[in-house]
Amino acid sequence: MEAVEVEEITRVFEPRRRSGTRVVALDEVSLTVPTGEIHGLLGPNGAGKTTLVKILSTVLLPTSGKARVLGHDVVDETEAVRPLIGIVFGGERGLYWRLSGRQNLEYWGALYKLSSREAKERAQQLLERVGMADKADERVEEYSRGMKQRLHLARGLMGDGKVLFLDEPTTGMDPLAAREFRALIGELRDEGRTILLATHDMVEAEMVCDRVTLIDRGKVIATESPRTLGQVLSRFQRIDVEGVPLVVLDEIRAIRGVASVTAVDGVGTRIEVDEEGATQLVLERLVSAGATSVRTSLPSLEEVYVQLIGERGMEI
Amino acid sequence: MSAVATTLNVMQHAFRAGIADYRAIFTWKSWLAGWYVRVLAQVAFFALIGERLGDDEKTYYLLVGNSLLIAAQVGVFSLNMTSAERWAGTLPLLVASPSSPVVVFSARGAYLAIDGSLSALGALFIAGPLFGMDLPWPRVLAVVPLTLLVGLASYGFGTFLAGIVFRYRSINSLVVVTTYVSLMAACGVNVPLSYYPEPLELLARFLPLTNGLLAIRGVFAGLPAVEIVGNAALELAVGFGWMTAALMSFNRLASRGRRDGSLDFGA
Repeated sequence: MEAVEVEEITRVFEPRRRSGTRVVALDEVSLTVPTGEIHGLLGPNGAGKTTLVKILSTVLLPTSGKARVLGHDVVDETEAVRPLIGIVFGGERGLYWRLSGRQNLEYWGALYKLSSREAKERAQQLLERVGMADKADERVEEYSRGMKQRLHLARGLMGDGKVLFLDEPTTGMDPLAAREFRALIGELRDEGRTILLATHDMVEAEMVCDRVTLIDRGKVIATESPRTLGQVLSRFQRIDVEGVPLVVLDEIRAIRGVASVTAVDGVGTRIEVDEEGATQLVLERLVSAGATSVRTSLPSLEEVYVQLIGERGMEI
Repeated sequence: MSAVATTLNVMQHAFRAGIADYRAIFTWKSWLAGWYVRVLAQVAFFALIGERLGDDEKTYYLLVGNSLLIAAQVGVFSLNMTSAERWAGTLPLLVASPSSPVVVFSARGAYLAIDGSLSALGALFIAGPLFGMDLPWPRVLAVVPLTLLVGLASYGFGTFLAGIVFRYRSINSLVVVTTYVSLMAACGVNVPLSYYPEPLELLARFLPLTNGLLAIRGVFAGLPAVEIVGNAALELAVGFGWMTAALMSFNRLASRGRRDGSLDFGA
C-alpha cells in the first residue's frame, strides 16, 4: 500500500470579498509516496505546498480530486487518517508557550488518546531524542527558536504517526540545528515512517529526500530523485575550463546550444549549455584546441530549481 | 483507555493549559491587589448608589446583582479562548488530532467559571456585611453552588460566542463588552425583570445569570426551597443549552474551516 496517494487534487480559494481574486492553489496535482520514503515537495512561496499538506492533514478540503493516507480517504475517513499522521510546521507557533515542553507533549499525548502513563513515557523518550530533556520543564516561551522547532518535531511524533507531514520544519533554524534536524528525519525514515517534507530549501531537499516533487503555481512540474532531477536538466550542463585561447572561446560561443561563455574567478572560463548534444560539440572543440583542464558537472538541485522556476523571480 | 477516560484526560490537560495562561496573568498577590480590589470597588460603587437612594432594600438588591454579575462577566471572558488558540497556531493541530477540539474548549477556560465565582462570592461576603447586609446562616451556604452555576452557565455562553466570533477577530473585544453590558442591563442585575416588557423578560430568561440571580435573591429573601431550586434548574438548563450550542458552533467552525481554508498553519 502506498503511504500517500494524491489523484488530480484541485483546490480553489474563492474570494471572500468582491474585490478579491479567485486563487487556484492546486491544479490537478497527482503524486504517490511509497511507504518508508522521504518525499520532498519543493517549490517557491505560493506554489501550493502547504495547501497540499493541509489537505493531507485533514484540515482542508480539496475542491476536487482524491487523496488517501495509508489507504484512507482524507475527506471521508478523517477519523481513520488522524491517528496515523503527525504534523510539524516551521516557525514558533503551534505550541502552548506558557506550558513547559514536557507539559506540551503530555497534552498532545492526551489528544492522541494516550493514557497519562503512556504520554509521560513517550514524552520523556522524545525529549531525550530531540535533545531537550534538560530543558523539558522550562516554559516554552523561554526556549530559543531552534528548541521550539525540536519540540515541534517531538510534538508531531507524540501520536507515533506512521506518516509525517513536515511543512518548512527548519524555518529559522541555525545551520547546525538544521543539520541535526535533518539527521533526525533520516532516523525516522529508518524506523519505517513515511515523510512528506514541504520545503523551499533546495539543499535540504537534496540532502534528505529520496524523491522530490517540484511544484509551482499549483502544478507538479516533475517528480524524481534529486539526482535524476539534476540529470533531467543535464541539458543545462556546465563546463569549467582553463587556458583556452580567446579565439577558440569565440568559436564555442557560436555553437548552437551554448548559452553563455563567461570568465569566472578561480575557475577560468565557465561554459553553460542549454541544449541536448551541445556539450559533446563543446568538449570536442576544447580537446582539439589542446585544453587539458576541463571539468563538467551536473547542476545541483538548486540550479534545477532555478532553471525550472526561477524565470518568474520574486513574482508569486 | 475507554472513551470517557480519554475525554476526561484531554479535559484535564486542557484545563491545565488554561490555568497556565491564567497564572501568566495573575499571581495571588496581583489577583488580590489588582483584580479583587477592582471587583470590590465595582460592587461597592453600585451599593453606594443604593445607599444614596436611602433604601436598604435597593442597596442589597444592587449589591447582590452586581456581585453575581462578576461571576457572569468572568465566565464570558472564555470568548477570548479561541483567539488564544489562534494566536498560538494550535487550532489546525487540534482539528487534525484524533480528539475533538470541542472537548478541549469545554475545559480550556473552565477556570474562568471558578475565578468568576470566587470573585463574586468574595465581593458578596465582604461588601455585604460592610453595607449592613444580613447573611442568613446556614441558608447563605446555598449561594456558593448557585454562584458556581452562574459562572458555568456564563462560561457556556461565552464559549458559544467564541465559536461564533472566531472568524471575526476584529470585533472580539466589542462582543465581550457588548455581552457584559447586555447581561448587566437585561438579567435583573440593577433593575427587576418585571420592569421590562414581557417579551424581553422572557428573552432574559434564556441568558445566563438571570435565573441563577433570581435563585440567589430567593435565598436572601427566605423564599421556599422549591422556588429557589426551580430557578437553579432553569439556570442549569440555560447553561447546558448554551454549552451544547457552543459545541455545535465549534463543530461548525471546524467543518467550515476545512471548507474555506481558514484553519491556518503556523505563521
